[in-house]
Amino acid sequence: MSHDLMTPVQRFAAYGRGEAIDRLPCVPIVGNTAARIVGAKVSDFRGDGKLIADAQVAAYQRFGYDVIRIFTDLYTQAEAMGARVHYPDDETAYLAAPAIDSVEQIRTLEPADPHKDGNLPAHLQAMSRAVDAVGSEVVVTGALTGPFTTASFLIGTETLVRLMLKNPSAVHQLCEIALQSALDYAKAILDTGCTPSLTDAMCSTTVISPKQFREFGQPYLTRLVDFIHVHGRSVTLHICGKTRSIWEQMSETGADCLSIDNAADLGEAKEMVGHRVRLMGNVSPSEIMLEGTPSQVREAVRECVRKAHDNPKGLIIASGCSLPVETPFANIDAMLDAVREIGWPVHIDQEMETAWKA
Amino acid sequence: MPANETELFQALSDAVVGMDEDRARELANEAVERGIDAYTTIERGLVDGMGRAGELFESEEYFIPELLLCSDAMYIGLEILRPHLKVEDANQRRFKVVIGVVEGDTHDIGKNLVRIMLEASGFDVIDLGRDIPAQRFVDTAISENADVIALSTLMTTTMDAMAEVVDKLDAANLRERFKVIVGGGPISPAFAKRIHADGYANSAPNAVKLVKQLAGVPA
Repeated sequence: MSHDLMTPVQRFAAYGRGEAIDRLPCVPIVGNTAARIVGAKVSDFRGDGKLIADAQVAAYQRFGYDVIRIFTDLYTQAEAMGARVHYPDDETAYLAAPAIDSVEQIRTLEPADPHKDGNLPAHLQAMSRAVDAVGSEVVVTGALTGPFTTASFLIGTETLVRLMLKNPSAVHQLCEIALQSALDYAKAILDTGCTPSLTDAMCSTTVISPKQFREFGQPYLTRLVDFIHVHGRSVTLHICGKTRSIWEQMSETGADCLSIDNAADLGEAKEMVGHRVRLMGNVSPSEIMLEGTPSQVREAVRECVRKAHDNPKGLIIASGCSLPVETPFANIDAMLDAVREIGWPVHIDQEMETAWKA
Repeated sequence: MPANETELFQALSDAVVGMDEDRARELANEAVERGIDAYTTIERGLVDGMGRAGELFESEEYFIPELLLCSDAMYIGLEILRPHLKVEDANQRRFKVVIGVVEGDTHDIGKNLVRIMLEASGFDVIDLGRDIPAQRFVDTAISENADVIALSTLMTTTMDAMAEVVDKLDAANLRERFKVIVGGGPISPAFAKRIHADGYANSAPNAVKLVKQLAGVPA
């Protein structure tokens, strides 16, 4: 039931200029759920850029959300550099083995060739095809994994985090190679007409400390953000899990929008960094979107709107992380419908308001 | 070197908190040479240190990297001291936990932290590793005569594999024999309840509290 009066591109442009819009931007982060729209298996996406594009475009057209993200899993770049990825028949892929298992082997690693290695060419093909199909009405982003996270897939997470304390220069070496690879891939993504969208999952303070993020995460992210800015695009940065104590640092990377996991609070994010960055979030992907009812989804959306609709740099209603594959379509519809009901300027049912203030 | 037992225990505890493997090795050997009771050295030195590290983790002064290095120091000490445990201490029946990451997932840091903290709290832990089929949890729990099956996952796609373990126990009429506990990124208390698990914890320290509760020992 789409009653939208503007295309996503028109909506974002007007929102950015502070002009009237029909509703807040809304992005249920659809990843492999797109397979369900076209009746494909998740593993069919492997190496098939055409299918990834067609599924993502079909999902966008089905739900009417505001950003298409070409994404299957976080391992694409690490795989192209030698990590082994396991592809279950119909579920999201997972890391089977890192590319190397010792510090000595770091020198054997090379940045990936985005037009040749692993599944990168297929993903680039998907980006280019999606841009051609609907790029004039909706922003198409290409998932780009942050250097620290890719480094963790290259040598193994436990090894990497131990090295941070025992051999920091080895970690910097790895991050530097991962950054080179990411810069080359970012360039190729930009060439398709797509905007890179950054995820650096392992930088979460659920895993590492703010001090470690400052040393091993932030500098590499900053260089990526700078590179993308030079090419005239704005950047969204997502870090999973707890991030409150690094919001300032995440903003310092220059990212234009922070995508906040449901493990953190949107209202607090608004207070701390809302004058510097747009916020995106943060309905729980598993507890609410996968397991909840449409009415729970609606309530969760209202909660996000109450907390952060007045964010100085703007708010995008979104899931806190990529949606699980089997997220019910009814819950994705409910997220969009709730945002449409709330409208613009935002209006939340009086009864709900009273309940919230009490 | 520390003048007396109490100082040695303290120094060993400090070595664990300070992530100092060499110092932990040195002090554990020293305790053996002096003939200090191994069980007491483990409890008041290594376990005490890991407990303090766990508190620093809870208060967000330590993060996963620090906790892992603390556990490295603890395990080095344990390896030296365990062969010197008195027979009755070594053979003492302890509450036993079978732990692993369910099939389809290889994220195991969270599971490893829970294992470390459980071992540091005196529980017997059988770590099956990651990407473990449901049947193996059941088989191992039976063969090891375990008390608890602890299941971990970071991925929403593999949450159902947790329900499968419970279902298999049900089907084999073994549900009453083992407590099943679950945890990991996408897991919620509501999910734990829905699959009829006996407990849920949102962090490694809380997993220890949960197992203590199930074992009936004071937290």
